[in-house]
Amino acid sequence: MKVFDQGGEAVAAPALLEEVPPEHRVPVAGVREAIARHRARRGGGTYTALRWLGASVFVAVLLALVVTLVSGSSEAFRHSGLSFLWSGTWDDNRKVYGAGIFVVGTLVTTFVALLLAVPIGVGSAAYLSEMAPCRLAQPLSVLIDLIAAVPSIVVGLWGLLVLVPLFEHHVEPWLSRLPLLGHLVFAGAPLGSSLLLASVVLAVMILPTVVALSRTALSGVPVADREAARALGATRWQVTSRAVVPSARSGIEAAVTLAMGRALGETIAVAMVVGNRVAMPHGLSTTLLAPGATLGSAIITTFGEATPGLQRSAVIAVVVYLLAISVAVNAAGQILLRRRQRQRSARVAA
Amino acid sequence: MTTLRTTDTGDVVVEELLPAEVLPEHLASGAAARRAAIRQAAGRTLGRRRTATRASHVLCALSVGICLVPLVALLAYTTARGIHAINLGFFVHDPTPPGIPGGGIRNAIAGSVLIVGLGALMAIPIGIVAALFLLERRGRVATIVRFGADVLTGVPSIAMGIFAYALLVEPLGHFSALAGCFALAVLMLPIVIRASESAMASVPVDLREAALALGARRSRVARSVVLRGAMAGLVTGSLLAIARAVGETAPLLFTTSSDLFNLSPLQPTGSLPLTIYANGTQAFPEAQQIAWGTAFTLLVLVLLLSIAARIVAGRLARGSRWANSRSKR
Repeated sequence: MKVFDQGGEAVAAPALLEEVPPEHRVPVAGVREAIARHRARRGGGTYTALRWLGASVFVAVLLALVVTLVSGSSEAFRHSGLSFLWSGTWDDNRKVYGAGIFVVGTLVTTFVALLLAVPIGVGSAAYLSEMAPCRLAQPLSVLIDLIAAVPSIVVGLWGLLVLVPLFEHHVEPWLSRLPLLGHLVFAGAPLGSSLLLASVVLAVMILPTVVALSRTALSGVPVADREAARALGATRWQVTSRAVVPSARSGIEAAVTLAMGRALGETIAVAMVVGNRVAMPHGLSTTLLAPGATLGSAIITTFGEATPGLQRSAVIAVVVYLLAISVAVNAAGQILLRRRQRQRSARVAA
Repeated sequence: MTTLRTTDTGDVVVEELLPAEVLPEHLASGAAARRAAIRQAAGRTLGRRRTATRASHVLCALSVGICLVPLVALLAYTTARGIHAINLGFFVHDPTPPGIPGGGIRNAIAGSVLIVGLGALMAIPIGIVAALFLLERRGRVATIVRFGADVLTGVPSIAMGIFAYALLVEPLGHFSALAGCFALAVLMLPIVIRASESAMASVPVDLREAALALGARRSRVARSVVLRGAMAGLVTGSLLAIARAVGETAPLLFTTSSDLFNLSPLQPTGSLPLTIYANGTQAFPEAQQIAWGTAFTLLVLVLLLSIAARIVAGRLARGSRWANSRSKR
């Protein structure tokens, strides 16, 4: 872009104007002012301010969230020390606070939920993406994507009013009669509300997520890979198990990690079916039929009655603990997802 | 003549043989036997392949079945119980005291609309503007914002509730719709930011550069090119965020909890998820009936929002073609 004076003679491009030594500069009316106006329009202005405002409001909210929760929990952490993280006693009367039971409950329910949901979910995704006829796969995929949006409170209500009686009278008595598992994993009286039921409810909640995300990962594998495997004589199953699934592995891992994050952080549906037993009478028990508590359900059941001060601070400490665990898991999931995207873009480039 | 022969271990070896006609009688019959053995071995391999494929097919189809049973049972049961609870009065009456029939959920519907509406009004503009920031800026601040959005997506929703409690309920001294909608806004923000950013990134850079080359200011480019081109994506992201927020219970539990009909942001307000929670955890069949009706209402609402988001997203795919043809004209 050139700047012309009124006589039509070129003066200089605005960017070059600075480099012209002062003695060679020709005074031209209005050019400097025009350049200044131009700069003001580009650099400053309400638009830039607005964008910075949006970004800084977001960062401020994020910081406020972390600072509020951490400062709210500091009293409990000072009181109990780091043993808060694993100590298994939660007693308001003796003012002893430890989140150990809740962590164990969270880990157990999440693990069992993944154990139930991942094989079924990945198998379903493989069927929908690789084997099912299109006329069947299309509507089923849409259905499962839609079910992923079902609010957790609805799943919780269904678990509480339908699954609790079902488990109490049919499923849990049957499980406790199993030869070996009945004494190890499924021992004890069938009460309905239990760690097992919480795991099942969590599994139902994360299933659509696992299926939807793994299906996306599987169908993202290039058709050429499948055709190459077919051309080498692989059967449809060999194509799926040896070409498609390994290629989509990090995507499936990301799906599982994100589902795990959802299971870890779920509160309301678990609180409705887990039994909410805050105290462990005889230390840790190995049976899944016992009622228990998770970090999320413990927050819901204890925060309402907590008096301000140490008691409330202890609950907020549980929130911080839960926050740290789920953020770590989700960050791992995001990293896996990024790696997959990078891999794919690298392949496209190659 | 070259022939294949299978050994006892199942391996296939290549053998040079004389043509069958020149072989003596007893050797020719041996060749026929070998041919039969080969055919048998090939049949075994093919059979194994076929069995493995069929078995895997059946197992995967079975897992789809196992996956669909609880999901469909959940939907069907909620629908069946919910439809019984619903009549016109259910939507226009307030809840009645326990034991008196004929209660409705007008308070919860109004409360949910108020809380989610205000929350969306807070989250969507800030989210879209923050996404514009991400679009036009590379560097450390953008990395922090993007990382923050990723982190916040993974934060359990109860944390937002406790955060809003500490920030807005404790200072005010009582629950309020404002605290609830703030918690939901924090929940929606990262969803809106991420969806908007990817929608804006899908607007071709050429279009933006062309607009800049025509001398348009950056604000003008953002308004007329970026926001307009990404409109369908922005609407989809916002609808999905609203669908997520309307079903969230944990952020509202310690921020808005109430049974009252209320339209003032500063007062406690009822909401659909909390009505389900409060009624569903009671032992009375009437209360559970209301919980099922509310759950069905919420389910329909969330599914409608998700379907609307899908339709808009589908229009996005067609819309881009339409935008091309128009720009040619």
